[in-house]
Amino acid sequence: MNDALIAEAVTRRHPGGGGIDAVSLTLEPGSVTALLGPSGAGKSTLLRVFAGFEPIETGRVRAGNTILSEPGRLLPAEQRRIGLIFQDFALFPHLTALKNVAFGLAHLPRAHAEREALRWLERLGLASRAHAFPSELSGGEQQRVAIARALAPVPRAMLMDEAFSGLDPALSDAVREAAFAALGEAQIPALLVTHDPAEALAYASRIAVLGEGRLLQAGSADDVYFRPVSPKAAEALGAVNRLAPDGVFAQAVPAARTHHRICVRPEGVRLDPGSAIKATVTALRGGGPLARCDLQSGAETLIARGLGAVRPGETVGISFDPKLTFIFPTGET
Amino acid sequence: MELNPAAPSIHSAPNALLGALTLFAGLTILLPAAAVLITGLTQGGGDAFDHIRRVLLAKYVFNSLIVLVLTGIFVLALALPAAWLVSVYAFPGRRVLEWLLILPLALPAYVSAIAFSDVLGVAGPVQSALRSLTGLSALQLWFPDITSRIGLAFVLASALYPYVYLTARAAFVAQSGPVLDAARSLGARRFDLFWRAGLPPAYSAIAAGLSLALMEAAADYGAAEYFGIPTLTTGLVRAWESLGEPAAAARLSILLLALVAGLVVLERYSRKRAAGFQKIVRPRRHTLSGVPAVLACGFCTLIALIAFVLPVSRLVWRAFTASGVIAPLAEATRNSAVLASAGAVLALLFALILALATHHRHPLSGAARTAATLSYAVPGAVLALGALSIFNVSGLLFAGPLAVLALALVYASRFTASATEPLIAALARAPRSVTEAAASLGASPARRAFEIEMPLALPGLFAGALILFVEALKELPATLMLRPFGWDTLSVRAFAYASDERLGAAAAPCLLIIACGLMPVYLLSRRMSGAVR
Repeated sequence: MNDALIAEAVTRRHPGGGGIDAVSLTLEPGSVTALLGPSGAGKSTLLRVFAGFEPIETGRVRAGNTILSEPGRLLPAEQRRIGLIFQDFALFPHLTALKNVAFGLAHLPRAHAEREALRWLERLGLASRAHAFPSELSGGEQQRVAIARALAPVPRAMLMDEAFSGLDPALSDAVREAAFAALGEAQIPALLVTHDPAEALAYASRIAVLGEGRLLQAGSADDVYFRPVSPKAAEALGAVNRLAPDGVFAQAVPAARTHHRICVRPEGVRLDPGSAIKATVTALRGGGPLARCDLQSGAETLIARGLGAVRPGETVGISFDPKLTFIFPTGET
Repeated sequence: MELNPAAPSIHSAPNALLGALTLFAGLTILLPAAAVLITGLTQGGGDAFDHIRRVLLAKYVFNSLIVLVLTGIFVLALALPAAWLVSVYAFPGRRVLEWLLILPLALPAYVSAIAFSDVLGVAGPVQSALRSLTGLSALQLWFPDITSRIGLAFVLASALYPYVYLTARAAFVAQSGPVLDAARSLGARRFDLFWRAGLPPAYSAIAAGLSLALMEAAADYGAAEYFGIPTLTTGLVRAWESLGEPAAAARLSILLLALVAGLVVLERYSRKRAAGFQKIVRPRRHTLSGVPAVLACGFCTLIALIAFVLPVSRLVWRAFTASGVIAPLAEATRNSAVLASAGAVLALLFALILALATHHRHPLSGAARTAATLSYAVPGAVLALGALSIFNVSGLLFAGPLAVLALALVYASRFTASATEPLIAALARAPRSVTEAAASLGASPARRAFEIEMPLALPGLFAGALILFVEALKELPATLMLRPFGWDTLSVRAFAYASDERLGAAAAPCLLIIACGLMPVYLLSRRMSGAVR
C-alpha cells in the first residue's frame, strides 16, 4: 500500500506572475485525481511542485509521513520515486523503446530490467516495437512508451500532464484503461492534469479545480459535477448557463432570490410541454446526447444539450433539472 | 531519506561557475585583438611606419579596397544566379549541383591561387594549348594575367562565393512557393521574376553572406602574397617579418580592423533582418525542360567546374607527376595535426562554455558570443600579431610549448564562433522535459549527464570539433607567424613549395588540406538537405 501524496497549504509564486497560492490537495492511493482549470490557473506549477522540480515558499509536500518539500528544502526529483508522463512524451531519442522503459529500472540486473521493460511494453501492446527508436514510432506509440516507462519502476505516485490528449480515439480508451488498471492494481495515487472535462468525468474518481492559483474545489467527481461550490468551479466541467436572477428563465428556479447567482448545466435543460417558461429554438448543431440547441426568450439566451426532437424556430416549454441547477449566494463568482 | 538543503530546482539558473567560465572565455577570445589595438594606439610606429606611410600605405589601401570591391562583384555574379536556379527551378542534375556548388568551401584561397596560377600561367596548359593552336609565341599571345588584382579577386571569389550561395539559396527557397507563385500569377517571367520578386526580399540574407565572404577576402594573406599583390594584410605581415617592426604592423592592423568592422556591422544588421529565412520549408520548384534546362544545368556545372574541379584536378595531376615528396610530408602532417588539435581543443572548450551559457540563458552568454563573433572577423595575421605582443617575443625566436599555446590561443580566438552554433543546436536536443523525465525515473545528476545529456550532445560536439580542427589546419598567416621554430605544417609547406615554384611538391599538402576540408563540408551538406528538401 502506497502513502497518499499530500500538499499542505503550498505556495509557489513565479517571478513573472502565476503559480499557486496556499493549495492543499491529497492524492489518495489507488485513485486518479483530475486537475482541471483554465490555462495559467497553476496546474503545471502544482504538478512540478509534487514532482520536485520547483521549490515551495510556504507549506509542505509529503508522501505519508515522509516530507518531500518544505520552504528552503527539497528532496531532489530523482529521490522521490514519483512517475511523470509528459505531454511531449520526453522520450530519450537515442535509446530504443525497450531501453527507454528500462531506464528507470537501473536498480535491477540488466537482463532482468529488460525482461521487466518488455513485459510493460507487452501490456501496452507495443512488444513488437521494442527495438524501434522514438523517431521511428508514431505519436500514439511514443505516448505508450512514455506511459510504460513511467509505470515500470512502480512509482509511489504518478503525475500525468495532458498525457492522453491527442491520442487516436480508437486507441485512447485501451491505453488509458491499461494505464489506470496498472495504477489501481499497485494502489498508486495519481494526478491527471487535463483541459478536457469529459476525460476528467470519465476516468477520474476525484476532481480538483484550480483557478488563478487557488484551489476552488476538490472532491469526488460527483461532488464537483452535482455540487459545485461556485460558478467558476461549475464551469471547470464545461460552460454553464448563467441566468439573470430577475429574468424569464430564473422563474423556473423558484428557490432563487434576486441576490442569488444561478447556473444551469446545458444538459440540465429539459423539454417540458406543460411549463409556463417558453423559449424559441434559434440554432441546432450536432446530434445525440451532446446535440447543442440555442434557445432564446426576449433578450435572454440559453444553451441546452441533448434536448431531444426540436426544430429551429419552434417555441418550446422548458424546465431545469434541479440536480444540475445551482444557486450560489451573491459574492461567489 | 535526507532532504537536500537549499537545492532550488534541478535547473538553477545563474550558476556562478558557469558565469566565471563564460567571462574567462569571452575575455580570452578578445585578448589578441585587444592587444593589437593597444599596441597600435599606444606605441609609435617608428621609422618603419613613416616609411610605410609615405611609400606603401596608399598602395596597400587602394589594392585592398579594389580587390574587395572586385571580389564582391565576382562573388555575386557567381553565387546569385546559381542559388536562384537551384532554389526555384528543377532541372536535370540539380540535386548533385546543389551540393557540388558548396565544395569550394573546402579550398583555402591560397590553394586555389596556387592551382589557378598553375593552370592559367604562361607555362600552364591553357596558354600552351592556345599557343600551339594559334602558332603565336608567348610574347605575341595576349592572355589576362592571373597574378593581377582582377585575377586575385577572381580567385578569392571562386573560393568564397559559397558564403553568398548558401545564404541566398536559403532566402530564395523560403519564398520559392507562395510568393513567387503570386508574382507569376501577376505576370512576372524569368528575369523579371528574379529582379522584381526574388531578389529584393533576399537582400538582407545576401548582404549577410557577402559580408562574411568579404571578411575572409580581407583576411586573405596567402593568395595575395603568392600573386605578389601588396594589400593591408600582406603589408602588415611584411612590416613584422622583413622590417621587424611589430608596432608598425599593429598600426596597419588598425586600418584593417576598421575595414573589417564595417563588414561586421553590415553582417550583424543584415543577419537580424534575414532571421526569418532560417525556418524549415518545403520548396516548390518549377520544372525546366529543353533549352532553359540545358542552360541552367550548364551554368551551374560551369561554376562547379571552374571553382572546384579544375583547381583540384590540376593539383591531382601535379601530385601524380611529381616524385619524392612523401617523406617531408609525414612530418608536416604530424605538425599540422598537433597544432590544429591544440587549437581545436581550446576552441572547443570555449565553444562548449558559450553553448552551455546560452543553453542555460546565462546573462553573460550574449556578450561572450558577441566577443567570439567579433574575433572571428579579425584576420589571422592581426591576431597572431596580438599574440606576439601578449607573449612579448619576436615570432622568429618562438619555440616549444609557448608557441603552441600562442597559436592555440589565436586559433581559438578566430574560430570559436564557428563551433558555437552546432553545439547550441546539439544541446537543444536535450530539452528540459527529457532531463526531468530522467530525474523522475531516479537518475542522479551524474547519470543524467552521462546517459542522457552527453550522448545527445555528442554529434554536435563531434561536428564542432571537426570544424575547428579543419579551420585551424587550413589557416596560413597566423600559423606562418607563430609556429614553433622549425615546425612546418601542411599549409606552411604547401605555401613555401609553391612560392619556390615547386608545384609538384606543393600539390600533395594542398590535396591533403582539401581532403580534410571536405569533411565539414559534407556535414554542412547533410544539414542543408535536412533543412530543405
